[in-house]
Amino acid sequence: MRLSRSSSLILSLPWLVTFILFWLFPLLYSLIMGFSDYRLLATDFDWIGWDNYRELAADDNFLSALKNTFVFVLGTIPVTTVIALALALLVSRSFRGRGLFRAGFFLPSVTSMVVIALIFTNLYQRGGYIAILAGFAGLSPPEHGFLFDRATALYSIMAMDVWMSVGYYMLIFLAGLKAIPDELYEAAELNGAGWWRRFWSITLPLLRPVALFIIVINSIKSFQVFVEIFVMTKGKFDTATAVYFIYEQGLQTQFRFGYASAAAYLLFVIIAMFSIVQFVLLRRRRALW
Amino acid sequence: MVTSRHTGINLLRYVGLGLILVVMSYPLLWMFRVSIMDVAGSVAGSGWLAGGFTLGNYIDLITQAGLGRNLFNSALVGLSVTLGNIVFCFMTGYSLARFRMLSNKLLFVTVIVVLMIPAHIIIIPLYVLMMKAGLYDSYWALILPFLVNPIGIFLVKQYVETIPPSMEEAARIDGASDLRILFTIVMPLCRPALAVLAIQVFFTNWNSFLFPFILTSSDDLRTLPVALAMMQGHQAIDWPHLMAGSAIAVLPVLVVFIILQRQIVSGITAGAVKQ
Repeated sequence: MRLSRSSSLILSLPWLVTFILFWLFPLLYSLIMGFSDYRLLATDFDWIGWDNYRELAADDNFLSALKNTFVFVLGTIPVTTVIALALALLVSRSFRGRGLFRAGFFLPSVTSMVVIALIFTNLYQRGGYIAILAGFAGLSPPEHGFLFDRATALYSIMAMDVWMSVGYYMLIFLAGLKAIPDELYEAAELNGAGWWRRFWSITLPLLRPVALFIIVINSIKSFQVFVEIFVMTKGKFDTATAVYFIYEQGLQTQFRFGYASAAAYLLFVIIAMFSIVQFVLLRRRRALW
Repeated sequence: MVTSRHTGINLLRYVGLGLILVVMSYPLLWMFRVSIMDVAGSVAGSGWLAGGFTLGNYIDLITQAGLGRNLFNSALVGLSVTLGNIVFCFMTGYSLARFRMLSNKLLFVTVIVVLMIPAHIIIIPLYVLMMKAGLYDSYWALILPFLVNPIGIFLVKQYVETIPPSMEEAARIDGASDLRILFTIVMPLCRPALAVLAIQVFFTNWNSFLFPFILTSSDDLRTLPVALAMMQGHQAIDWPHLMAGSAIAVLPVLVVFIILQRQIVSGITAGAVKQ
């Protein structure tokens, strides 16, 4: 072919330039800043070695932000995954009106997170709809509203996150369900396998790669939870998460770029390790399922 | 017997699904309801019929609160980024699909790297970079970093791989230039993939908050989601106006979603299941 190395390079130039400028460079820059005390208006770097990381390990705000992040990730992911799978099973077979239900369940996922967070701030407020619902269920809602109470604020935001994302993961499960050949179910039915048996022995094992994909991308996304925290509580009432901490330290009041970068790298390492563990665990379950 | 049991199960299914649908759509419907309440009449948890009906909130926002400017910013940035992605993702995706050589493998590695790395890690350095480059608080800061995206490159690459190269070869024998082949022969063939890409990029950009928020500071440059989040920051929340602003942010997405549902869904699942 006449088109050669140079053409391929020219075609990819826009990507290469943006990759180097806006990904590779920031990534390295941030790693370097993490070992300095660089902050806004500072004229030069002072190398302080691992001091930022040492300070983080003893910083109560950071530790509680990490704790909240883990509560968020570990609390939402199983719930989201199970509900998304249940919804997918409910609308996988063809019936009248299926399109409406699918679209309705998915709609929150295409809406802006800021807007969803604002609406739920309204629903969660004192005397708001969720408080009324809680009253019907015989529970007494927090006095100042769900978002103004340490006991409920983070969990309320987590519930909203589940509500918002189940439709998206439902769609991915649906695509996975479609890829399972009908013959398997037919053969199982001929052999007298009931609904539960078919689900347990065919659907679930064959959906494992899709489930792994969903859990991994949802974890990566959830570890970075920020927007809803910013809009709904500004990190108050024990809701500050790791990225909120990074924002607070780096860009809100202190402008400690070095310290915030170190926290960002630490979170990155945690996310990477978490993803690897998920891969290993879910791969190995092949024998069990 | 059998049929009555069947209709029973069917009825149960519809009731169950209907309940879920109510839960999933209630918040958005409530947003529209509050957005047309009289400011004076709206209180927390007021019913669907209380609070009055007016379209004044929408008019106030555009004429007095300057939300029109934010709307314009969102549209301008969204369209620029979408256009950039269509052209640049196409070029890179095509190159990945058609050339199999070392430089291309390296290119592929860069795509994977960006897909795997959480975005939070570049917030601080990107902010510093934009400051130093004098681009902070400008449209450039909102557009330049997002002109190409790895998921889009993937999408185009997978699509181009399904197109046989014979047409390009024939055109080349006829003496057509490389650029001409690329943009007048291959690009039109990729229209379905590029449409999916355009919708996804525009939606993502339209809804995005974090980067527009940290890369701008003046009110004139705020995009719609950032402006809405800022409105909420004040002491007493003016719900009818806030919900009217939210509705303005949601409506375009809602309309496009209803019209192009199938393409949107295929775009989301295309990337997911293959992996």
